[in-house]
Amino acid sequence: MNRAYYWLVFALSIPAFLWLVPTLWMVSLSFQPNEVLARTTSTTLFGLIPIPFTAENYAALFSFGQTPWWFLNSVIVSLGMTLGVLAVSTTAGYALARLDFPGKTAITIVCLIGLMVPEQAVFIPLYTMFADLGWHNSYHALILPRMAVPIGVFLMMQFFRAIPKDIEEAARLDGVGWLKIFWHVMLPLARPAMMTLAILTFLYAWNDYLWPLVSAQQREYFTITLGLASIQSNFAQSEGLGRVMASGVIASLPVVILFLIFQRYVVQAMTVGGSKG
Amino acid sequence: MAVTSRSRLSQTQAAWILLAPFLLTYGLFLVYPFFQGLWISLHDWNLLAVAFNPDAKEYVGLRNYERVMWGRNIEWSLLAAPFWQGLGLAGLALAAGLHWAGRMSRFNAVALAVASVLLIVIPGFHPGEEGRWYDRRFWPTVGNTLVFVGLAVPGVTITALALAAALNRETRAMGALRTLFFLSQVLSVTVVTLIWQIMFSPRQGLIANVTDVLGGSPINWLTDPQFAMAAIVIATIWWSLGIAMILFLAGLQDISKDIYEAAALDNARGIKAFWYVTLPNLKRTVTLVVVLQIILHFQVFGQSHLMTQGGPNDTTQVLVRYIYQTGFRDSELGRASAMAVFLFLIMGAFSVIQFIVGREKS
Repeated sequence: MNRAYYWLVFALSIPAFLWLVPTLWMVSLSFQPNEVLARTTSTTLFGLIPIPFTAENYAALFSFGQTPWWFLNSVIVSLGMTLGVLAVSTTAGYALARLDFPGKTAITIVCLIGLMVPEQAVFIPLYTMFADLGWHNSYHALILPRMAVPIGVFLMMQFFRAIPKDIEEAARLDGVGWLKIFWHVMLPLARPAMMTLAILTFLYAWNDYLWPLVSAQQREYFTITLGLASIQSNFAQSEGLGRVMASGVIASLPVVILFLIFQRYVVQAMTVGGSKG
Repeated sequence: MAVTSRSRLSQTQAAWILLAPFLLTYGLFLVYPFFQGLWISLHDWNLLAVAFNPDAKEYVGLRNYERVMWGRNIEWSLLAAPFWQGLGLAGLALAAGLHWAGRMSRFNAVALAVASVLLIVIPGFHPGEEGRWYDRRFWPTVGNTLVFVGLAVPGVTITALALAAALNRETRAMGALRTLFFLSQVLSVTVVTLIWQIMFSPRQGLIANVTDVLGGSPINWLTDPQFAMAAIVIATIWWSLGIAMILFLAGLQDISKDIYEAAALDNARGIKAFWYVTLPNLKRTVTLVVVLQIILHFQVFGQSHLMTQGGPNDTTQVLVRYIYQTGFRDSELGRASAMAVFLFLIMGAFSVIQFIVGREKS
């Protein structure tokens, strides 16, 4: 390590700090009293340090208001979607990668074409379809559409293709059936890929905005992302800036924690998700 | 796993059992809605009327497309938009010239030529005398979306590339810095817009507070037609830098150290090495990142919907928001679906490009 290296680190930490400032500011404002914020947001060091300090915004958030409920909805929808995507993607991915059957190529191509269809191109017909079924304002309405997206299938397919064939063949010689090989041999091997897919799906589900916006019209079925959108348009008047910022912090907490713990997987998931669909 | 007899399921049966859950959801929630969307776009389909009475829709053929994209007395001329058409002509000449001189591969030349021809043809349409567009907002909305893409994509790409080149060392400090730059990427669009709405606020915003101390007058970022688009672009760059940076870092890691050592012997270090060694070797990654960003940012919705509500004066109205409003505020599902098909065609074209570029890599 030479002198130039330390200068580089020093020079880069300035933009890195600036990059962090907006997030830091949100956290800091969420710990300041609403009466003060109504007057000025520039208290201590442009408001970046929460003095005067209060935790009241968080207490208020949990004692009344719908934020805890929305948070719970988000947890249910995100976990449900993650499990659903894992289930359909691992099974289909394994079948397309390792089994031979007539029509395999055709199905692979049909799924590949599905990668080109953006959510925005199908949300109107999905809306009318779910309206006809009377499914709007429910958890399954928020979960099901994303399970149809083939990105997970391709991710799992690529993973299963890379596993050496002899593991499977040894089991076949012992007379083990295909479904058992999938369940007992292949799935345990696929854990890292499943982890990547799970995080990709969870992040997507937690942050999704357009589909919940059209599907969930009753506030009881809002996800936290949608709920936050609904209170930010008139934030200063009705709720108080500090409380809205506290909602923002609560809404970000799970994904930020997930990111800090599983950074490697998150980066991998976003790279895969980014470069494939 | 005590198995005594051979499995009764054949390979084909097992495959179909494993595929069934996915194919079922795929067919129901993607394939069917896709064709249903095409079907709706061929109808005069009012959301509320059809919900009340399923027969209240009327087949109108391609009329929705006409009402969205066309007008009365539309003419085409070469001088309607001199700048863009001139750029197209220049691009066409450049493609022919460079290919003829052997400086550009056939694939790139054809791609540039196709883009140039589109640039010459599309802006050439305009209403003639007494003519007008049937939908005055559609093409300006497409234009705004293109402006957004045209600002956000280079903004993200250049910043991310510079950062990736600087951060491309496996040390603890560099890892921590990468984490800081990547962090905003995991936030949801509503958190991002919440933060930046208040950052940009002329009365409460951090930016206004800082300019106030420096003695400047605050800018009405989100309500001034000159600054609104810039504001949502800044928020977007802040939000979506991470993926691009990570993809560039992965690309940089594939460049062998030997090339740099060889370049160092020729006195190419630092910026010179970046320009003559890194960039040429990173061409494919750059293309991939650019195409990816175009697909991503063309679908922009939340930033415009939540930060500026498409305003002021429609300057930040974007395509997906217009589709959403036409469908769910004006209940015009037919017209909204026609626009969604338009969006799909553009996205589809770029997906094909992305697929080809991705294939070349492997």
